[in-house]
Amino acid sequence: MINRIWAIALNTFREAARIRVLYGIMVLVVGANLFAVACGKTSMHEEARIARDVGLAGISLFGSLTAIFLGVFLLYTEVQRRTIHAIVSKPIDRWEFVVGKFVGMALVLTVLVALFGAAMTVVLTWQGVGVSSAIAKALVLAWFEVLTVAAIAIFFSSFSTPFLSGIFALAMWAIGRVTPDIERATKSTSLAIRWTTKVTLEIVPDLHLFSVSGTAVDGSMVSVNGDFVSWDYVAMAAAHGLGWTVALLAFAAILFHRRDFV
Amino acid sequence: MADLAIDVRELRKTYRTPFRRKKVEALRGVTFSVERGHIFGFVGPNGAGKTTTIRTLMGLIRPTGGSASLLGHAIPSRAARFKVGFLPESPYFYDYLTVGELLDLAGRLFGVPSDVRKKRADELIETVGLDRARGQSLKKFSKGMLQRAGLAQALMNDPELVVLDEPMSGLDPIGRKEVRDLIVGLRDQGKTVFFSTHILTDVEAITDHVAIIARGALQAQGKPAELVKQTMLGVDIIVRVPDTMSSADTEGLTAGADRVRRVDDELSLTLAADSDVDAWIDRAHAQGAKVIQIAPRHETLEDLFMRQVADREPATKEGVK
Repeated sequence: MINRIWAIALNTFREAARIRVLYGIMVLVVGANLFAVACGKTSMHEEARIARDVGLAGISLFGSLTAIFLGVFLLYTEVQRRTIHAIVSKPIDRWEFVVGKFVGMALVLTVLVALFGAAMTVVLTWQGVGVSSAIAKALVLAWFEVLTVAAIAIFFSSFSTPFLSGIFALAMWAIGRVTPDIERATKSTSLAIRWTTKVTLEIVPDLHLFSVSGTAVDGSMVSVNGDFVSWDYVAMAAAHGLGWTVALLAFAAILFHRRDFV
Repeated sequence: MADLAIDVRELRKTYRTPFRRKKVEALRGVTFSVERGHIFGFVGPNGAGKTTTIRTLMGLIRPTGGSASLLGHAIPSRAARFKVGFLPESPYFYDYLTVGELLDLAGRLFGVPSDVRKKRADELIETVGLDRARGQSLKKFSKGMLQRAGLAQALMNDPELVVLDEPMSGLDPIGRKEVRDLIVGLRDQGKTVFFSTHILTDVEAITDHVAIIARGALQAQGKPAELVKQTMLGVDIIVRVPDTMSSADTEGLTAGADRVRRVDDELSLTLAADSDVDAWIDRAHAQGAKVIQIAPRHETLEDLFMRQVADREPATKEGVK
């Protein structure tokens, strides 16, 4: 089982590595880091905070967009181009194929986040902005965020076209990123709206957990510039992301299992 | 039952069109069986249900009704797929891979140990004649080369049963001959080969058993020699006629004959089975013609195919594969 999943994962990694748009995204992330440093220079004694926050936001944004792009295309094109016919006719279960595709994408995204992080560290160091352990925690959180977003994209891609999957995944990502704001905005509304919002937010992963710099966590403000969350918090957020990832992949596998490949 | 490589009973598949939800019956109760160690030809026109049957057997499509088994395992069966090699119709592979990488991936999915994988891949690349294209990505392969790569990946697990969907498609005459030889070679190794095609000469040349499918239903099946009528349908004659032969004399010779064709001084025609051939030959000799060939004409698989298929109503717009 592991060998089959690994074979699919390696092939997916090989396929994704040949998509040139990823190299463009790398350039964008480096650009975002330079932009972050430029923003920091224009601020009043907040160079480090702005440079780090904008740099991390770039990793989160471009990482998530890459995850959506890969998630909605890599599974769909297997079916569309019929390459899947020569694969699922071999002794591999369809859920193994779905998990293999995810693991392959996770490998690509891991390499990307590592490269994004390295680029950010180089740019920040070069500009004389300090790099703290909080950055490492923030990067781990960003990593789990993009993996969760990849699982969301794969889930939609298991039954929908790339266009619709992309829209659904983007919507879920956007809602997931602002869950506390949505809760706050609906606090003083009617009971029906509050319950509808509550139910909606329950079926959307809380991606805000992964992007905490500059916001309140357990009542106090945290930032990569100063006080940051503990490793316990990072582990809790990672567990949340993994839980959603497993659930989404399970649903994707069930939907994929029922499909006819004509 | 134990000697059957494939056993299909009343297999049905019904699709619904996306918007109007109209029913399209791709398979309407298909029943046949394939004995182990045989070459089985699955013949039918485009849209007959050949590919749907094969994809159902390989677990790509879920049947609506009926049952099927591969090597004694009810489909869909992962255990059976360990022992089955499959070449899809017009195979699409990851075009960024080389043929060696494709075979390595196939070997990994079949669970072939790494040392065996490399050796077998090398052998198969040579067998299918892709030795000189090892370094190229599949993107640069011609259709015929892709077909050969597809055959190689289908054999990576040294299968007991090989299922080939249109294996001769896209191949030139030499390539087709090589694939035919490969199929016969597989049977000689004790393997079972099930292949679909609409090229009847291939079927006639190598199959032990044939089934004809049209509009989702089996029309005939059996050994090719048993399926075609053994009675004589006519006599094919080729004569060389002198330049001096008048057109009236030529018309006299060809009166009542079928398939009349004249190329330069060579005249070919088919006389009815109950014709007086001796009298016709005497007449031809009298007019200065020289007989080159006389051969009895029996029913061919093509005649049978046309008899079974051509008279059927035309396929629907949503015709199945």
